Amino acid sequence: MAGRLEGRLALVTGGSRGLGAAVAIRFAREGADVAFNYLSAKKDAETALGVLRETGRKAWAFQADVSDRTAVQSMVKALEKEAGRPVDILVNNAGHGQVVPLALMEEEDWDRMMDTHVKGAFLATQACLRGMVKQKRGRIVNMSSLAGVKMMQAPVHYAAAKAALKGFTEALAKEVGRYGITVNCLAPGILEEGVSRNLPQARMDEYLRHCALGRTGRFEEVAEVAAFLACDANSYMNGATVIVDGAV
Amino acid sequence: MLRGKAAVWLVRCPDCGEKERELDGDGSRWLAAFLARGKEVPGTETLFKQTTSTCPTCLALVTADVVIRDGKVFFRKTCATCGPSQALVSEDAAYYVKAYEFARAGTEPLNFPLKAEHGCPTDCGTCSDHEQHTCLPIVEITDHCNLECPICIVNNQYSTHVSLDDFQRIVDLMVKNEGRMESLALSGGEPTSHPKILEIIDIATRDEIGRVVVITNGLRLGKDRAFAKALKEKGAYVGLQLDGFTADTHEKIRGRDLCKEKAAALAILEEFDIPTQVIFVATRGVNEHQIGQVVDLFLEKDFIVSLNFQPAAFTGFGGGKFAHDPMDRLTIPGIVKAVEEQTAGRLAMKDFFPLPCSHPQCVSLTYILKLNDGSCVPFPRFIDFALARNQNLLRSSATLPASAEVQDAMQDIIHDVFANEDTIPRAKEILAALRRSLDVMFPPHAVTEREKIRIGERQAKSIFLHAYMDRHDFDLERLRKCCHHYPQTDGRVMPACGFNMFHRGAAQGPDTPRAPFGKGPFGKGPGKSLPVIA
Repeated sequence: MAGRLEGRLALVTGGSRGLGAAVAIRFAREGADVAFNYLSAKKDAETALGVLRETGRKAWAFQADVSDRTAVQSMVKALEKEAGRPVDILVNNAGHGQVVPLALMEEEDWDRMMDTHVKGAFLATQACLRGMVKQKRGRIVNMSSLAGVKMMQAPVHYAAAKAALKGFTEALAKEVGRYGITVNCLAPGILEEGVSRNLPQARMDEYLRHCALGRTGRFEEVAEVAAFLACDANSYMNGATVIVDGAV
Repeated sequence: MLRGKAAVWLVRCPDCGEKERELDGDGSRWLAAFLARGKEVPGTETLFKQTTSTCPTCLALVTADVVIRDGKVFFRKTCATCGPSQALVSEDAAYYVKAYEFARAGTEPLNFPLKAEHGCPTDCGTCSDHEQHTCLPIVEITDHCNLECPICIVNNQYSTHVSLDDFQRIVDLMVKNEGRMESLALSGGEPTSHPKILEIIDIATRDEIGRVVVITNGLRLGKDRAFAKALKEKGAYVGLQLDGFTADTHEKIRGRDLCKEKAAALAILEEFDIPTQVIFVATRGVNEHQIGQVVDLFLEKDFIVSLNFQPAAFTGFGGGKFAHDPMDRLTIPGIVKAVEEQTAGRLAMKDFFPLPCSHPQCVSLTYILKLNDGSCVPFPRFIDFALARNQNLLRSSATLPASAEVQDAMQDIIHDVFANEDTIPRAKEILAALRRSLDVMFPPHAVTEREKIRIGERQAKSIFLHAYMDRHDFDLERLRKCCHHYPQTDGRVMPACGFNMFHRGAAQGPDTPRAPFGKGPFGKGPGKSLPVIA
């Protein structure tokens, strides 16, 4: 049976590990050729690339900093040349966490958080948009967080960056909808292999107490929703932020 | 005729007037079938359509066969009294037929002064059958003039300067009819001969009116520095007649050598940086060889925001008698061809498109983007005006105002150029200019409607070609969609060509009798007229 993303070319930023890698692998299993970038985790990137290629799809890994305009443009240009077609699906997933209270937050901490999450999404989107507008079709999925849409105990710069992605999604959806491009946002709760690993047990217990499903999520569960947002079956959901948190 | 999404068939009976019949099916299907009829079979004459025109001899309304022959379009008419006649209507049949693709249903005004009883052009003023609101009111504030132009399309009687009270009432009426207007033109006669022209401008300068344009031959401007300064201070615009650059062209068209006067007017307009529209009446065999020169001037000078070509209409005090051959005259495609040839392709045929909101045979236009290095690129070089969504930019406006509609259109253009950067010449420079335009046209602070117009007009220039009609090429279908209107002191709002043809009484020169239903200017003519506006 043909996958839901058969014949599509996807780019997942920050796809060498974690949620990004899970999304990339899910997309490949749905029939997409998949590229991802990584900043420094070369070994993880090689592993992810291997898994992607095992699916039988074409796959590429690029070392590129998403906050570097030239690097992002070169990556997209090289990918589209390699693949011989424009990027159909972009997942703005690249990001990082940092636990630091505002009182101790350095300007560099703030800038790095914003650069990776928000500027990175802007630059990758701008680079991919050309091809999407040209072919009058595209799917963009921005990876936000529950911390960006609900009041959570999360670092201020992280929550601000994730909230910015929600605004980015909504304005962009309005701006490019006329070209058949949908832009949606995912806001996952705490996931098994994500920040939960560094969370103090008391916080984790508090989260689980408030979560209707009483457990943390799995990368694959978020990747499944991302695959739906990226496929043609999602023909009308646009500008939405989908919360995947087991009902907190 | 299109109304909403439906096509409507207009039939004119000599006894009963006009009748309308809505055709089955949707308008777009009907239009496609209609356009298919415009395909010429080489070596034959193709009947494209029929319309109502005038007998060039007695001015009676007659049926005209619109035929295509040798790549051109002609009217074939037979008058029961005067016999058969023919007239050239378009020098390019392909353009003429394709123009109908741009046909769009009109927009009615908020208020029609008159109800339709006998139909167009009898009930004129405007009646409820009229298909279009007033895009440009042209108020003839005087019938005095300081020239007697051999090509003059009006019929000056040297009798009246419109009073300030009458003018105030005209402006109030237009605001009532239209709500807002982008421009209001002051014409005549020569409007600068009105002794209270500056007070007139003051009356018209109000929030509902974007610009007040003084259409002038420039004689007073060139020698009256204080007057030019006053125009600048009042924020008025100037529409300067400039039909050539040599003594012989001025003599033939305007009656005497005006080279010095025109140069003086241009100099003072440039000195005071008064936004100017240059109006060039183009006549076969007289000044068509100077079309490229006026385009060069327009592109070079920042104070000239638009250029308006008018193929000569042979009607009015002078024009009605002006020597011409109705089978060999300049039409819109002929002027555009001359533009292309005489500007070495800086502007080309492909850069011009019919204006959808008027009748598509009346006006053709292009917009030209000013790049950051001062050079210019016509918009059609980077956007496709054949696409319906881009046609929002083809508007009856000399410039692109900073409106929400234009902002939307610019977003589309930017995305299109961005996506096709590899195939559009100078795409990076075009994007940089569009970015500059966006920054100034939509600043983060509030701007008034008048400011929006002023900002927009410094970002892009425009060239319009407006074909006024005469007894040879008069087309009732076009008149019904006319959007350039002469408001009168008695409350009538007269579509320009109908007024010139039937109501002034000068379709064949000053001795032409007014039509039996004619209603003369200033509410003084015979026939039915409205009570003077209270």
